[in-house]
Amino acid sequence: MALVPLSYNVRSLWVRKSATFLTVLGIGATVAVLAGVLALRSGFQGLFRDNGRDDIAVFLRQGSTNEGDSAFTRERAEILTKTLDVFEQDASGKPLVSTETYLAVRMFKTDGGETNVPVRGVQPTTFAIFGDDVRVLEGRTFTLGADEVIVGDKIASRLRDGGLGDTIQFNTTPFRVVGVFHHAGAFSSEIWGDRDRLMEALERPVLNRVIGRIKPGVDIGWDDEDDKPKSGLALQLDADPQVPCKVMTERQYLMSQSAALGAVLLVLGQVLAIIMGIAAVFTATNTMLSALAARTREIGILLSLGFKPWAIFLSFLFESMLLGLFGGVVGCVLAYPIHGTETGTMNFNTFTEVAFAFRLTPELLAQAVGFSIVLGLLGGAWPAFRAASMEPTRTMRRE
Amino acid sequence: MPWRLVFKNITKHWLRSTLTVGSIVLAIFLLCLLRSLVVALDAGVRASAVDRLVVQSSVSLFVYLPESYEAKIAEVDGVRTVCRWNWFGGYYQEPSNFFAQFATDVDDFLTAYPEVEVIEGSVEDFRRERQACLVGADTASRFGFKVGDNVPLIGALFPRTDGQPWNFKVAGIYRSKKTNVDNSTLFFHTEYLEKALESGESGGPSGVGIFVVQLEPGADRVAVAGAIDEQFAGGPQRTQTNTEAEFQAQFVSMVGNVPLFVSSIGMGVMIAILLAALNTMLMAAREQTRDVGVLKALGFSDGSVFGLMITQSLILCGLGGAMGILLAKATEPVLIYLLSTTFPGYAVTGETLQLAVFVTLGIGVFAGITPAWRAKNLQVITALRATA
Repeated sequence: MALVPLSYNVRSLWVRKSATFLTVLGIGATVAVLAGVLALRSGFQGLFRDNGRDDIAVFLRQGSTNEGDSAFTRERAEILTKTLDVFEQDASGKPLVSTETYLAVRMFKTDGGETNVPVRGVQPTTFAIFGDDVRVLEGRTFTLGADEVIVGDKIASRLRDGGLGDTIQFNTTPFRVVGVFHHAGAFSSEIWGDRDRLMEALERPVLNRVIGRIKPGVDIGWDDEDDKPKSGLALQLDADPQVPCKVMTERQYLMSQSAALGAVLLVLGQVLAIIMGIAAVFTATNTMLSALAARTREIGILLSLGFKPWAIFLSFLFESMLLGLFGGVVGCVLAYPIHGTETGTMNFNTFTEVAFAFRLTPELLAQAVGFSIVLGLLGGAWPAFRAASMEPTRTMRRE
Repeated sequence: MPWRLVFKNITKHWLRSTLTVGSIVLAIFLLCLLRSLVVALDAGVRASAVDRLVVQSSVSLFVYLPESYEAKIAEVDGVRTVCRWNWFGGYYQEPSNFFAQFATDVDDFLTAYPEVEVIEGSVEDFRRERQACLVGADTASRFGFKVGDNVPLIGALFPRTDGQPWNFKVAGIYRSKKTNVDNSTLFFHTEYLEKALESGESGGPSGVGIFVVQLEPGADRVAVAGAIDEQFAGGPQRTQTNTEAEFQAQFVSMVGNVPLFVSSIGMGVMIAILLAALNTMLMAAREQTRDVGVLKALGFSDGSVFGLMITQSLILCGLGGAMGILLAKATEPVLIYLLSTTFPGYAVTGETLQLAVFVTLGIGVFAGITPAWRAKNLQVITALRATA
């Protein structure tokens, strides 16, 4: 006979229902909070990471960290689009490259608050570059040269004047909303219109970025870990005498945009997990200590029946782990309703609002349950050690 | 009431008592921390001056207003001074060393912002020298800037054509008496920036970010704001004139759901400690069943048995809460320092402490009441028959 039967532990938890229930709920609350923070982070980062493409290159001014503070004069942008021989071509042989203007525009939300919405002036080739990733859901796309815009589906209903048929005033020029478009990523929180019309209405003297679909085999060569050019096109353009600039893949660009907030949320999650985790370990220890006190005689009996101290130790540890496991499952159940909930937060790089949904992935749930099991094990370690070091004669003598 | 017994009961299971108190300490501390973060978010709004208006582009934070607006705004009735503010957007050595820098009209700035108090160096030097700057005390201590130092800043938004950093001379270090101005900003002369742009030494956008208007005493804020916006309604750039509080509030509004999010975390924390405290008290009560029987047999009233149980809960929670509050207050200076760029205005306010006391007492009562009620209604016979 080696191990104490596991059913003994399960029954023991059942006998002490109220303590078990409260401990499990306590661990559950801790795990739910942690899972919530991580789901927020995963939703936000996923929006950027999963929707960036590796075959699209983004060109920014040297030293800028986002498209808001990047700038190219028309001439410099033209040099890039005309002279670089790295872009894919469409059926008629035109290179798939376009220049964009970008401005965070002040707008009112339907709930009355103010927000900054990215307004992007694009060219027809922009749609060709993104292909089916950007598609109009309602209405139609804007007409070239007209004062018309299309609004991303995530913000169309959140903005006052953002719906189909509404009019948005940019400085002194009114633009009509003629369509609502969908994109799985951050574009769905933007307003798009004709580049030249928007540049004039918003008095933008410069373009903000150049993007293009890259031919297969071209090495972009941006090192996003060190945030510097490493090889290929990136190295070449970094030292370009005419138009020195930064180039990276769209995915790398988008990931750099979500890095700051992602890091803040990760730190917040860790701080909360540590502080609340310690409190949860204390509770679990208390519960196991009281289980120990109530079963002192039973332990004596087990020991005199021939169970070894290490079996007793494992038995108590197992019971505590069960507490943690149940707590983790309860926590996941508590946190689950937030999965898919839409929320908005600020992209601090560009001061614009991004709409996204909380996302609880299976890995996150596994992490949360793993964390709760660790809490259980930590909480049970000391009581289990105490149980294992008891002497049979002394324990049995107690009434 | 048997006070000695209260004390004995708590110390008998010292480990359990310590762990319970420990988890309450952590939870109350966390509660204070989270609330202080939310408080920090709109600290600037609450401290805003009533005699200042901010004129900005009605289109975007990133659109500049024409220089010519300054004189036109100054002519509006009720306007005392007009001060230009331009975001410089530079960094010290590394982009991650972020702190705000503004180019401003120094004389008007110093008049309009009496809360900015120069604690080291000289205001006169700051007024006189074109390359002089005033640095917030937090930023000065973060990078070790001293009066008389040269601070090189790389202009990300205003890159110098020679590729060199901009040079600023620290003329003074300030500390703000109110939270609407943080202690991490660097202020310098608009003229320095202007001259460099004119001579082509630097590239970058021209125009003015915002105008801060100081009102004449007794001027009607709404009327002045209306008159300013009216003037520019036909372009070239439409303006939006707000009180300083409204201007600050728009940044809070942009942060969106963060307060709600932090409050939900706070609720989670509270539920978790509530359960922990309740758990301990129930365990304690179960063990004391026989004691209660003995007390009752000796003639103690139901009321004093009730009091015995609830007092134990209140003492444990009160001790934890008090220590949690102390911890929150003790870490305040450290957190103010650490969070000076992300949450300027972090403060553990009196209201937060009141909330913490209230929560502590609430948990103490809630956790103690069930076991106390049970003990009160316990039959002597049943109680005495109970095994430990």
